[in-house]
Amino acid sequence: MNYELVSGFETHVELSTKTKIFCGCTTQFGGDPNTHCCPICIGLPGTLPKLNEQVVHYAIMAGLATNCEIANVAKMDRKNYCYPDLPKAYQISQFDMPLCKNGYVELSNGRKIRILRIHIEEDAGKLIHQQGNTYIDYNRGGVPLIEIVSEPDIRTVEEAKEYVEKLQLIMRYIGVSDCKMQEGSMRCDVNISVRPKGSEELGTRTEIKNMNSITFIAKAMEYEFERQVSVVESGGKVVQETLRYDEASDTTSSMRGKEDAHDYRYFREPDLVTINVLDSLIEEIRESLPELPFVKLQRYIDELGIPETDAQLLTKYRKIAEYFEDSIKGTQNPRTAANFILGQIFKRLENESAKEEFDIKTTADQLREMILLIESGKVKMNLAKSTLEKMLDTGKAFGELVSESDMAGLSDEALIELCKQAVSENPNAVADYKAGKEKALKSILGTVMKNSRGKADANMAEAKLKELLS
Amino acid sequence: MITREDILNIALLAKLDVAEDELDNLTKEMSAVVAFADAVNEADIKTESFDNVNNLANVFRSDEVQPSLPNEEIIKNALDSDDGYFVVKKRA
Ligand SMILES: [Zn+2]
Repeated sequence: MNYELVSGFETHVELSTKTKIFCGCTTQFGGDPNTHCCPICIGLPGTLPKLNEQVVHYAIMAGLATNCEIANVAKMDRKNYCYPDLPKAYQISQFDMPLCKNGYVELSNGRKIRILRIHIEEDAGKLIHQQGNTYIDYNRGGVPLIEIVSEPDIRTVEEAKEYVEKLQLIMRYIGVSDCKMQEGSMRCDVNISVRPKGSEELGTRTEIKNMNSITFIAKAMEYEFERQVSVVESGGKVVQETLRYDEASDTTSSMRGKEDAHDYRYFREPDLVTINVLDSLIEEIRESLPELPFVKLQRYIDELGIPETDAQLLTKYRKIAEYFEDSIKGTQNPRTAANFILGQIFKRLENESAKEEFDIKTTADQLREMILLIESGKVKMNLAKSTLEKMLDTGKAFGELVSESDMAGLSDEALIELCKQAVSENPNAVADYKAGKEKALKSILGTVMKNSRGKADANMAEAKLKELLS
Repeated sequence: MITREDILNIALLAKLDVAEDELDNLTKEMSAVVAFADAVNEADIKTESFDNVNNLANVFRSDEVQPSLPNEEIIKNALDSDDGYFVVKKRA
């Protein structure tokens, strides 16, 4: 029989606020243990939490960017559980009145992954287990999170990967989170069940907790799918349980016993007041949202004539997209800027985070000036390319590196002079060429280009050389 | 009606060890506590909505960093600490 994967995601995203959700402590990652703490976030008696307004705004932004309805009235609730990562023995979260609900993320195959809800809550502290003891650092405790809960609409591992990547892209674009999975600012709990293909019923699901790498999410899902299929095939029943994925052995194992049966005894958080969200605020936030990446992608393809693969690279990182858009203002062909960015500039950005940060010395205005010179015919592509390298090295403008006379290019006489010089500098190559080795011309041509400091036009120089050597 | 099973479940959730011979007494005590709270239900009231009795909404902080406490202050009351960390016995 053929089986189908059914999966839903609970995705925790740490918000990029400066301070924690209920106190003024910094949210900075790292720091010495228990140095980003105060009586509120370590839950001392007699303290009162006060909600960070930015958290509400960021959550609304996240909701709007994922097509959610925003609640006009929301409240906070206590989720009770006793574990050392929560100093109060409860987490302040939202239960039945979350800020956002009923949204979706659309995948490239046209399927919509529905989002049930997005709520705000506080993160827990970090635990280090060592020799029978647990060391606790509450720096992360109280850092604001949104939890994005999807419906079980994911059917393949590919869809799961795309869903997580899309969420990551959206949240980064709108600036509510850096979504660094390796630093834990984005983590997923993955629900999985299997059912015979064509069936509409949902099977018993298991939950793999706390995944923080897309690669491992994919591996864990593949493993868990196979495991459940073989349980069902052999006549057994899948047990509802929480699993841990072990990266080293690429297997899942049960994490919690019966004694941890979920009984969170939610009730309204008495220390915090109701959150009212006016329609005017929702509209104001909607207006302030940047153009979302998929909308941008389509516009680049349709209106700017950028090939799809290039458009995908350009829109994947918000800063690169902004740089591209600034650099094409007033230019004729957007593909020129796209080629410089995806070629010479991309080469200098070694990894994802370098691309994300996009810390390069040449400004978009400097690139645009150079493109305008190319388009007006004042500067040859060769010269532009070689000068761009220097611009990227030094941060200097094109005009600082190349004089007007350089830009004018070479006169015919000067080019002939350079060709003659190159011929006399390369007697061996000349002999080879005359003996019929066409390729030898390339090294002579290289000398011309080098001596002209990129100013010579390669095609013209090649023609001149052939003339000289005929 | 509070049962012995309720007490065992509450103890489990609160990570408390309850001995067999304590159960009867605890069940009785808890029943009394719940009965006391039940008195609230007898009150003659016109509304059933207690969701926002103080009628307050939107009390917010602005997102500005305030100094945290020094580590010594934070771990001052800890039963055990090491190198700035709180230390507790590992839970099974
Ligand atoms: Zn604090």
